Formats: sequence, C-alpha cells, structure tokens
Amino acid sequence: MDPILVDRLQFAFTIMFHYLFPIGTMGLAPFVAAYTWKAARDRDEESAAIARFWTRIFAINFAAGVVTGIPMEFQFGTNWAAFSRRSGGVIGQPLAMESGFAFFLESIFLGALLYRRSGVPTTFTAWAAVLVCAGSWLSGFFIVATNSWMQHPVGYSVAPDGTIHLENIWALLFSPFLGWQFAHVLTGALLAGGFIVAGVGAYYLLARRDEAIARRFVRAGTIVGFVFALLAVFPTGDRDSSDVTRYEPVKLAAMEGLFASTHGAPLAIIGMPDDAKNKLIDPIFVPDFLSFLAYGNFNANVNGLTAYARELWPPVDLTYYAYHVMVGLGTIFVAIMTLAMIFLVSGRLWRARWLLWIVMLAMPFPYIANEAGWTVAEVGRQPWIIYGLMRTAQAGSPTVAAGEAIFTLIGFLGMYFLLGVLFLYLVLREIGNGPRHGTFSFFGSAQDDVTPLRAGSGEG
Amino acid sequence: MTLLRSAQAPAKGDEAIPMSVAGFIVIAFMLTMYVLLDGYDLGVAAIAPFIARSDRERAAAMESIGPFWNGNEVWLIASAAALFALFPIAYASSFSGFYLPFIVVLWLLMFRGIALEVRDHFNSGLWHQFWDAAFSLSSALLIVVFGIALGNLLRGLPLDDSGYFRGTFAVLLNPYALLVGLFALATLAMHGAAFVTLRVEGELGARATTSVLDLWWVVGALYLAVTVVTLRVHVPANVSWLPVMPVFSIAALALLRWGALKKSAVLAFAASLSFIATLMVASARTLFPYLLPAFPAEHGGISIFTAAPSSVALSCALSVTIAGIALVSIYGSFVWRRMAGKIRVE
Repeated sequence: MDPILVDRLQFAFTIMFHYLFPIGTMGLAPFVAAYTWKAARDRDEESAAIARFWTRIFAINFAAGVVTGIPMEFQFGTNWAAFSRRSGGVIGQPLAMESGFAFFLESIFLGALLYRRSGVPTTFTAWAAVLVCAGSWLSGFFIVATNSWMQHPVGYSVAPDGTIHLENIWALLFSPFLGWQFAHVLTGALLAGGFIVAGVGAYYLLARRDEAIARRFVRAGTIVGFVFALLAVFPTGDRDSSDVTRYEPVKLAAMEGLFASTHGAPLAIIGMPDDAKNKLIDPIFVPDFLSFLAYGNFNANVNGLTAYARELWPPVDLTYYAYHVMVGLGTIFVAIMTLAMIFLVSGRLWRARWLLWIVMLAMPFPYIANEAGWTVAEVGRQPWIIYGLMRTAQAGSPTVAAGEAIFTLIGFLGMYFLLGVLFLYLVLREIGNGPRHGTFSFFGSAQDDVTPLRAGSGEG
Repeated sequence: MTLLRSAQAPAKGDEAIPMSVAGFIVIAFMLTMYVLLDGYDLGVAAIAPFIARSDRERAAAMESIGPFWNGNEVWLIASAAALFALFPIAYASSFSGFYLPFIVVLWLLMFRGIALEVRDHFNSGLWHQFWDAAFSLSSALLIVVFGIALGNLLRGLPLDDSGYFRGTFAVLLNPYALLVGLFALATLAMHGAAFVTLRVEGELGARATTSVLDLWWVVGALYLAVTVVTLRVHVPANVSWLPVMPVFSIAALALLRWGALKKSAVLAFAASLSFIATLMVASARTLFPYLLPAFPAEHGGISIFTAAPSSVALSCALSVTIAGIALVSIYGSFVWRRMAGKIRVE
C-alpha cells in the first residue's frame, strides 16, 4: 500500500475531526464574551445563568479542540517530514505565531474564565472571555495563513537543493489569498455559532421550558446567523472563489465541473461529473453565470479541466461534490435565516413551531458546510501540497512505512470515537440540564461554589 | 548530501551563527519552561494515588492544577512549533524518526487531557476512580517517556547519512535512557508533591510534604547515579562551567529538603524548580551545538548549523518566539496571581 495514501487519510481524518471543535470555539466565543460582559454589568441572575451555560458548553468544546489539536502540530513532522524539511522555514513561522501569540492566550485565559469563584461573573472574568475569543480568532488566522501559503505561495525563494526559504514574512501575512480566505472561514464559524445558539433556544421553546431565556437565545442566534449566512455568500464566498479563479484555475474548473474551456460558461447547479468522458452528466445549468461569477463578465472565457494536463487535475468528483454541498447548504442557510428573521421581526416566531423545528434541526448542517468547504480547499489543491512548488507524493516521511501509519490511523479512529461519544454525551447533557442548572463547577472552588456535580460524591 | 559531521560553525562572518545559537537557547528555554510547568501537573498526577486517600482529596489534587494544566501544555506545543520554524530539519528528522514513540506520546497527552476534563462531569465514584487512574497512569508514563527521550538525546542516536533516525524500540530502550526515565519520574513526582504542598491545606498538604521528604532520598540517589553514568556515556563537553553545575543542583536539593522540613512550601517548590532548571541547563549545554547528536558520538549529528533555515526565517522565528514568550510571561504571571489561592479540603 502507498504510505502517502495512508498519511493523507490519517491527516484528513484527524484534521476534519479536529476542525469540528474550532468551528464551535470560534463561533461560540463571541457569544460567551458578550453574555459574560452582560452578566458582569447587569449582575442579574438570569444573565449570569446564561453566561455560565454557554461557558460550560464552550469549555467542553475547547477541551476537545485542544486534545485533538495536539496531533496536528506533530503530524507535520511525523508523517510529512519531506514537506517539513523543505518548507519548514516558511510554514513554521505562522505556526510558531499561532502557538506563541494565540494558543497561549486562549489557554491561559480560559483557565481564568473557568476558575471563577462566585456565581456572578466579574469584570476580570469578562475580560478573560474577550481574550479567549480574541485568542481563538487569532489562532484561526495563523492557521489559515499557513494554509493560504500552501494554496498560493508568496514571499519565498527556492534554493538549488530544493529547500524553500522565507524571504518576506509580511508578504505571507498580507498574502492576497489570505484575507478573503480567513474572512470566509471565520464567517463560516460565526454562522455555525448563530445556528447553535438559535437551535438550542428553539429546542427549549419546543420543549416549553426556560422560555424567557430561550427567546434570548433564538433572537441572538437568528440575528448572528442571518448576518453571517449572508456574509458567507457575499462578499466572502464570492471573493474567495475569485481568488481561486485567479490563483488556482484547475481547482475552480474541478469545483464547477467544467471540462471544456468555454466563453460564457454556464453554472452547474446539479449534475454528475464523469472524468472518463470529460463531461457533466444530467446537468442543470444557469447559462453564462459562471463566467459572470468568475470574471464579472457574462462572456468571459473560463478555462476548463481539459485545458490542463490530466496529471494536474485534482480528484474531480470529490472537489465537485464537496463544493456543491457547501454552496447548496449555504443557500439553504440564507433561506432559513431570512425566514426566521422575518418571523422574528414581525413577532410571529414564538408561535411558528414548524419554523422552530427547522431552526433546531438545522444545527448540524453548518458543520457539514464548513467541512465541505475545507474539503474543496484541500482536495482541490491536489496533486500539490504546496501549489505549483511541491507534490503531495513527494512530501511524506521516508522512514515511516505504510503499516505504521495504518496502525496509528486505526489508533486515532478508536481514540476519536471515544472522544466523540464523550463530547456528544457531555454537551447534550448540558443542554438537557439547561441554563438554570446549578452554579458553575469546572474547577469550582471548594469554598464558595455549590458544586452539584461533585456534591455528595466520594466513597464514604 | 550528508548532513552529519558538521558540528563546526560555517564560515566566519555568517550572520546566521549568532541567531542559530540564540535559536538553540530559545528552544532550550521553552522546553525548560515546559518541564518546570507541565512537570508539576504531570507530577501531581503521578503522586496523587499515593497521597490522596478519598475522592474529595483526589478532586482537590486535580483542582490544584485544573486552571493551569492547559496553559502549561502549550509550552510543549509551542516548543514543537518553534523547533519547526527554527530548525525544520531537526524537527522533521526527529518527529518522523520516532514515529511510533511520538504518536504514543500524543495519545497519552490526549488521554490525559480527556481524563482531566471529563472526571467531574459525572457524579459517580466508579467514574471518578477510572479517570483518576487513567490520569495518573498516562501522566506517569508520559514522564518516563520524556525521560527516556532526554536520555537518548544525551547518549546520541543512530542517524543515517541524510540525518534520519534509523533504529528500533530496542535501541531507544537502552539501560541509560531507562535510568534517566526513572530519574525523571522520581523528580517530577517530588515536584508535583511540592506543588500540592503549595496549594492544598490540611491533611493532604501534610501528606504531600511527607512524600516530598521521602522522595528526596530517591531523587538524590538517582541524581548521583545519572550524573556518574552520564560522564561515562557522553563525551564530556569541554566547557569550563559545566562541571560546576552539579554544585548548583546539589545546593538546590539541599534547599528543597530544608524548605520541606521547615514547612515552607514556597521555598520547597522554588528549590524544586531550581533543581530541575539546573538539570535542564546542564543537559542543554551538554548537547550544544547538537539538536540530534549521533551515536556513536564520532558521527556528529544534526547541529544547529545544519538544521537552520535562512537567516530571514531565523530572525523571524526568533522575534516571534521571544515576543511570544515575553507576552506569555506577563499575562501568565498576572493570571497566576489572580488564581493562586489555597484549596481547602473539607
């Protein structure tokens, strides 16, 4: 078996599983910060309960993110040694920035946020929440900066022995590819955050419990979800794919399932790409629209896959389907949130139980859309690990055999299965217990916290 | 291209030389911080089964490290990132060469994190017992594995011509490395006990003090053994101040015992920090300028001069890591002071 294939499967599995948690962290952090601030300012019990509730869920999410994030930093070295040797001088920089400036910030202040002694958050806690949020976004920025360089390398030079040297770090941090990519990633996470908060609120309303608090959740979640569902489509999604058009034209052709170069290229809404026959089977087209989206001109020529050597094609089906899943879901998100917004503004949302059902059941889908988006970015970049510079096939570790990698992949599968079950159980239980459940009790102080989870425990 | 046999610095006047040296110091500093900080929470986990007798006491032991362990562990991640940015060749060779040991470390780190996080989510004695045991066992194993890694670094590794590690588990589990692993376990268990003394009042704190005093003899004996064997295993580096290091180490050990006897938890913990710091400094100086010394030693190894990228990358990575460390020190100590109260066990 080809070790590279196993390395890729392991990386894909560990990064996709890991990414479930940063979506929640980046998306929920601003809610935690805002609710904690409100509770610290108003000092009323309801706000405090809300702040503690979302902090509990955030903390579980964060812990799972840290635990699954550790292998990411290591895997560049363990499984991708050739890649790390050649490009470490460049991509090591944003990764070092991530841990030095962002990961420390979120971890240390999360400790401070969780370790509050009394029930009502203080200004110190509120600041800690803001810094945790800043840290999680900053962390996302540096990680996307690393990825952005792999999509569109800038600020480097190549030595005669093939080593890629850093020439200009600012070029990397202000790469033309990075701005919209990060904006789109962050928008995707905030959209998910809005859907989670609204969805949990909708659940309480449907279950006819904690209704006052639930309405606050639905209101806040709907507004955030609506704004970011729109922003995910335009401008961030639109601009991000324009950058792909400019810098990774083969990926664009695969995303759109466009085989032949066409003037006035149509946009395929659905259809099945067949890369043996080089055509899209049973398509439904919007005429000329792809040319417009890519170049702002209905007549522009868009290069199809056949304009490039076949060995430069990414896996067409996966790229195409992942992209269409993301875009299709994005459209549905806009529809759901627009509807919810109309009902909210006209004051009918609390009675429209069918709509609350939809809002609640929509919760998992932003996760799918986010993962699908990254699948487009990563699978669509193939066969390159660094676009135009280094092939994925040359990037593995010469000392790691396929068997070893299969062994560790199976280990990760088992470990993450356990973790996934625990995560779901803990989060669903927090939601089931509800915002009014007791006081905060992570590392709650023995002196002045009533700790219901711990009270009465012990062997005696 | 052979990467080995290049302990000598490249041609004079190369601006990258002082930066490579600074990079070595930064990595050594970050790893030392990791051992000092995550060392105590690993140590608390390792010693907890022996000093905490009830569920409530074990919870208190967990609570003493609860707000800190995550921030402490970031030092390890940050060290890996800094190594990646500063010396990518050493990063790639060591991480892929030790593929299975590294992945095992990862799993242990993950398991430990899970144990710490989920323990108090469920009010059941059995649940707590399981995760307490998982936490202590994975932490103790991590300490031993880190010790074995350090032992192998000091001894040197079988590297091939392109600097990749070619060896088996049996090579890594040599008697010297195992001895260092054992020493690490005893030292960090004592460190953890000293930390419990610092943070927990009452019977648990008193029992922790007793175990500091008991472990002190084990640590002292192992320290002497490791020092003597290291001089035999490793070609002693020709550094004037290195032979003086044991004086500092022994002084710190003496101070530790005095602090524990005097019931001054702050003094004992500070002495424990100093003791570990002297060990790390001595190890770093012994290794310098190698990041991955070869075994046998005549083969050289991957040094900071072979492993460094361009001077642009070095200066960037140095600025980032040093600025990051400065920032962390400022807000880390601020947060620490806000949360450093004593824990009482009812």
